[in-house]
Amino acid sequence: MAASDVKFLVCLKQVPDSTVRVKVAADGKSIATDGITWSISPYDEYAIELALEHKDGDPSTTVSVVTVGPARSRDALRQALAMGCDDATLVIADDKAGGLDVAKAIAAIVKEAKPDLVLCGKQASDDDQGLVGPALAEALGWPHVGMLTKIAAAGDGVELWREIEGGHEVWSSTLAVVGLVHKSAKEPRYPSLPGIMKAKKKEIPEKDLAALGVTPGAPRAEVIAMEPPPQRGGGKILKADGDVKALAVELARLLHEEAKVL
Amino acid sequence: MATTTETATGFDLALSEEQELAQRTARDFAREKVLPRAHDIDEQGKVPRELITEMASLGFLGIYAPESYGGAGLDALSYALVSEEINRACASTGVVMSSHVSLVVDPLLHYGSDAQKDRFLRPLATGAKLGCFALSEPASGSDAAAMRTSARRDGDGWVLNGTKNFITNGASADIAIVFAQMDPKARHRGIAAFIVEKGTPGFSVGKLEHKLGIRGSDTAQLNFQDCRVPAANLLGEAGAGFKIALSTLDGGRISIAAQAVGIARACLEDSLAYAKEREAFGKKIVEFQAIQWKLADMATEIDAARLLVWRAATLKDRGEDHILAAAQAKLFASDVAVRAARECVQIFGGYGYLTDFPAERHYRDAKITEIYEGTSEIMNLVIAEEILKE
Repeated sequence: MAASDVKFLVCLKQVPDSTVRVKVAADGKSIATDGITWSISPYDEYAIELALEHKDGDPSTTVSVVTVGPARSRDALRQALAMGCDDATLVIADDKAGGLDVAKAIAAIVKEAKPDLVLCGKQASDDDQGLVGPALAEALGWPHVGMLTKIAAAGDGVELWREIEGGHEVWSSTLAVVGLVHKSAKEPRYPSLPGIMKAKKKEIPEKDLAALGVTPGAPRAEVIAMEPPPQRGGGKILKADGDVKALAVELARLLHEEAKVL
Repeated sequence: MATTTETATGFDLALSEEQELAQRTARDFAREKVLPRAHDIDEQGKVPRELITEMASLGFLGIYAPESYGGAGLDALSYALVSEEINRACASTGVVMSSHVSLVVDPLLHYGSDAQKDRFLRPLATGAKLGCFALSEPASGSDAAAMRTSARRDGDGWVLNGTKNFITNGASADIAIVFAQMDPKARHRGIAAFIVEKGTPGFSVGKLEHKLGIRGSDTAQLNFQDCRVPAANLLGEAGAGFKIALSTLDGGRISIAAQAVGIARACLEDSLAYAKEREAFGKKIVEFQAIQWKLADMATEIDAARLLVWRAATLKDRGEDHILAAAQAKLFASDVAVRAARECVQIFGGYGYLTDFPAERHYRDAKITEIYEGTSEIMNLVIAEEILKE
């Protein structure tokens, strides 16, 4: 990676906050969004943190953020700016825009902004599709690495640490590259109050899909129905009436045959 | 004829984008970093310094000081929003912040010379240093003009002698604003305010008080024995000390009112969560009207208190007279907090009396809001004076 002036572009999605109690809307195939709190999707926050950590170490780093979504997504971008990102772009799109269209729109932004690294959360916490990152890499013809937890400069390229079962792998990549960020040890920072005031002074340019040459295609997948998980049934209590051994045998049988955990 | 479709004028309850973001930062920080420690802070009687440092790095300790002095450059309403959130999690942590911001950063901002702002306001606004406000004495609280701590002119400086009591942050602060009497016969016109740094010879911290609530904030006695303070550390005019103290407290009351709203909200939220889980007579206790009415009263009173706080803060931001509004906000909000805490303990029942649950902490913490930075009786006095002026 170049010694200085590294450009990050972090793609984020605004999703219902993790504290929101999700309810199914009247149409039976979406969630009720009236009055809910929106946030940056958690893995995207880790992606922002990873980029900002690099900027902490090298102030010549630029961290840009982009989102494709409805007008309310501007709040998420403002929050990213308040965390310390340098600039933000809002691409206005219907919140039901398909992942491929979102990826194409971001690809168009990438071609203009020419970042060295594009980071996305590995999946958004609302639909958990994990589609946009790989689709973006495909649209750009760039390599992509998933489950990223750390980035380190290495020559002209980068070392990308990815979490695997019981340890981590270190991959090396040329630039440019798309990284799909997993949760890492460093918690995303809070937007500081001075950061909020700096963010206030920044313009957030708005683009639409047409201006980026993206014509939304017919949806390739559709949510047909959404329903809350069934209420949990009551637990089963075994009465200990003297014969502890028989009780243990019965418990083992239930765990094996009914709960299927043994 | 005026139409109702014009929205540019009138009573606007909307927060600005940056006020909402400040509220959100404080809410997330309070929920994730402060609340999990609140029980230990109370039990161990100490707000960890690293928590204060973290709050400083987020800009909470210089929230409405200008950016040119290392502050965040927000406003008094943002400060009230942040105060409510921090106090919702932990009133001890809340009062450490509010004593520092309202009672030290604020008067330096308003009365400090450029040199004093450079030297003292900057490290206080960034949170590199912590401040305390030393007005009360063993024999004078509400009657501040009866103070006995003396200031004697000596060459190019002043010599302070006396004892200050009930000083929040007294032990941990690096910088104190100390009020002293230059001429007892002049009563309140003889009072001056001084900026005194920890480590100044003759300035020492005396005993620490053991308190009913807000146990994590230190409350100390400060002793001044032939403590020599340079003339450059006189805050405002000699003789203006009483005015500085009163106007500082007028603003400070807004944050104590916000603290009371935060404590009351903790009572409501904890009560709601408990009442939805706890069963009696075969159903959740939240299904009983006796509990619902308590919760409804709490929610309504909290909203009313919060609106009074927001009004007072908004008046302060506009540079308008906020003496009456701040006193009303504090009087009402502290009463709401104490009542909400009583009902919270009652809803928790026997568990409300145990330290394993937060209700009893709220009960102990709420009471102080009716006492410090002007008792409820003094609030009534201020309110009566204001409404009798007309």
